[in-house]
Amino acid sequence: MSTSAVSFASAAWDMAAPPRSLWRDAWARLRRNRLAKLCLAVVALYVVLALAGFTPHLQRAASEMRYDSYELPSWRAVGLWLGADHLGRSVLWRLLYGTRIALTVAVSACLISIFVGTTLGLIAGYFGRWIDSLVIWLFSTVNSVPAILLMIAMAYALQGFETLKDRLSGMPIVVLALGLTGWVGLCRLIRGEVMRHRERDYVVAARAAGAGHLRIMFRHILPNVFHLIIIDFSLGMVGCVQAEVALAFLGLGITDRPSWGRMIDDAKLELLRGVWWQVAAATAAIFILCLALNILGDALRDALDPRLRGTD
Amino acid sequence: MRKPLLELRDLSVGFETEGGLIVPVRDVSFAIYPGQTVALVGESGCGKSVTALSILRLIPSPPGRVLGGKVLLDGRDLLGLSEREMRKVRGGEIAMIFQEPMTSLNPVFTIGEQIVEAITLHQRVSSAEAWRIAERSLREVGIADPQRRLREYPHQMSGGMRQRAMIAMALSCRPRLLIADEPTTALDVTIQAQILELLRTLQRETGMAILLITHDLGVVAENADVVGVMYASRIVEFATVEDLFDQPRHPYTEALFRSIPRLRRRSERLATIPGSVPNPSDFPPGCKFHPRCHRCRERAAAPGAGGLPEPTVNIEANGTPCAVAARCVAVEPPLRRTGPRHWAACHFVPAVADDDAALPALDHKRMVTAAGVGA
Repeated sequence: MSTSAVSFASAAWDMAAPPRSLWRDAWARLRRNRLAKLCLAVVALYVVLALAGFTPHLQRAASEMRYDSYELPSWRAVGLWLGADHLGRSVLWRLLYGTRIALTVAVSACLISIFVGTTLGLIAGYFGRWIDSLVIWLFSTVNSVPAILLMIAMAYALQGFETLKDRLSGMPIVVLALGLTGWVGLCRLIRGEVMRHRERDYVVAARAAGAGHLRIMFRHILPNVFHLIIIDFSLGMVGCVQAEVALAFLGLGITDRPSWGRMIDDAKLELLRGVWWQVAAATAAIFILCLALNILGDALRDALDPRLRGTD
Repeated sequence: MRKPLLELRDLSVGFETEGGLIVPVRDVSFAIYPGQTVALVGESGCGKSVTALSILRLIPSPPGRVLGGKVLLDGRDLLGLSEREMRKVRGGEIAMIFQEPMTSLNPVFTIGEQIVEAITLHQRVSSAEAWRIAERSLREVGIADPQRRLREYPHQMSGGMRQRAMIAMALSCRPRLLIADEPTTALDVTIQAQILELLRTLQRETGMAILLITHDLGVVAENADVVGVMYASRIVEFATVEDLFDQPRHPYTEALFRSIPRLRRRSERLATIPGSVPNPSDFPPGCKFHPRCHRCRERAAAPGAGGLPEPTVNIEANGTPCAVAARCVAVEPPLRRTGPRHWAACHFVPAVADDDAALPALDHKRMVTAAGVGA
């Protein structure tokens, strides 16, 4: 009697539960994490600021020399909240404009590296054999060169093409250099995961239903490893923001527009003269963004990792 | 005389391993007629699943490969088709369901999305039409509230319901042959009975043939029309289900039946088959069953049937020395016709005719189905 009551109760509960997808499940889990929510809000704020950087108003404000050289931060005008640089430009506006550059570079570079890493990882993991060996060779080669050196070399090489030089300003070069070096980690992860999934019954079942290789790779396996891409996107952004700054600091980044890296580069000599606000503003902006993305990446991993599913 | 739907002719499948080539399927021949249920029964590792997979050419291609033989669907050799043509056969003409309904469904898609995909792979229908077909096929397999279940994910369903969904997906394109690879092994007993009953009903309604892979003789007794018993990569006995259960001819089948517990018979200890299934990389010479066989020992002890003494050799099997008939160690017996509805591969079962050419094929339907009795 009691068993039938229990099964009836569980059936009733089952009826009440709405169908939950993996993603909705993960989202619910993410929302329960307060810190992650805060970080998501911070990242969203950066995105909004970056979008604001596309308005002509801000573009003008960032290059206008309205204030005195090295004017101290003050409440006198909004543009002066973070002081002015050596040419009398508002640090605040330049910082906001730099957000646009940083996020544009990071997002596009990440998209490139995700595209390359995912495609190669899928192909290598699914087909195995010599294709796998080729991809392993490729990413081992890329990985054997320190990333920053490779980026510098690539930036130099891309600038070397005379015909491209006019059309490519600093930004596409940086994006390409970052994108084409950053795919190794994701490629490795996806390759391994795809190799695991390739042996799963649902892949055999899909084959038995008449699905072709491409369909199985992209429609059946890819959604099962997609969480890796999301996590990599979040953490890869951190790397891209930092690398962009490093390249700019070395004079290889974006030279024609105010980026965070340029600001730090400009400010390195000013520090000796006690002008701290420009470097402080830029580093703080980088620090907060990277911290938020890092925490968010960890939270995403917790929320999306199938091995942790159903543990709470 | 009807033509068989599917015919396997001397199919051999090998796997390239570090220890050399192993052959999990060797010279397997049998036929399936339309509307018939053929069961392949045998222990784990005897090659029955590999046989099923190689019909659809789903053997992972290195290391596995077909060493020889033919798989004829309506006389057309599937092994010679291009990958593109083969995709039309898979799911379209021959569908397959698997042992683990838990893992054979993709966890990130809803049941509906997966059934619709299977439909649109083979039929030119609009998305709305495909969803209607999906709903209909869920209803056909006895899932209540198919509208809602279509929107659910595999993890929200019980094992039995998932297997029903798998069957719905397999049958959505009206295949002529369904390969069921241990469809009920992962399910509990009451659900097993339901699923098998469902398969029988669907078979009656659609007239499809079923190749039932199982290790459960009870499942065979209740569902199969014709049975092939596999041992160590080969079919050792092939007969109608009535013939096989009345009068097993191969010593392996005999031993299998003796090892089933019976309710009515009181015996102190359940009979077992000594030894274990040989590893495909290390098969014994001659008849693969001789190290475990009771019949070749009895024949070695007693004189031959015709009064002539049986030549014997001494071997060591399962750690004990014993004498067995010499020909069992020397020669592997071919699968020969031993009766009108019976094939067996044993030296001590007399063949009825000299023409061994006839491949095992029986166009036979059982008289009383278990479903008929129950209904």
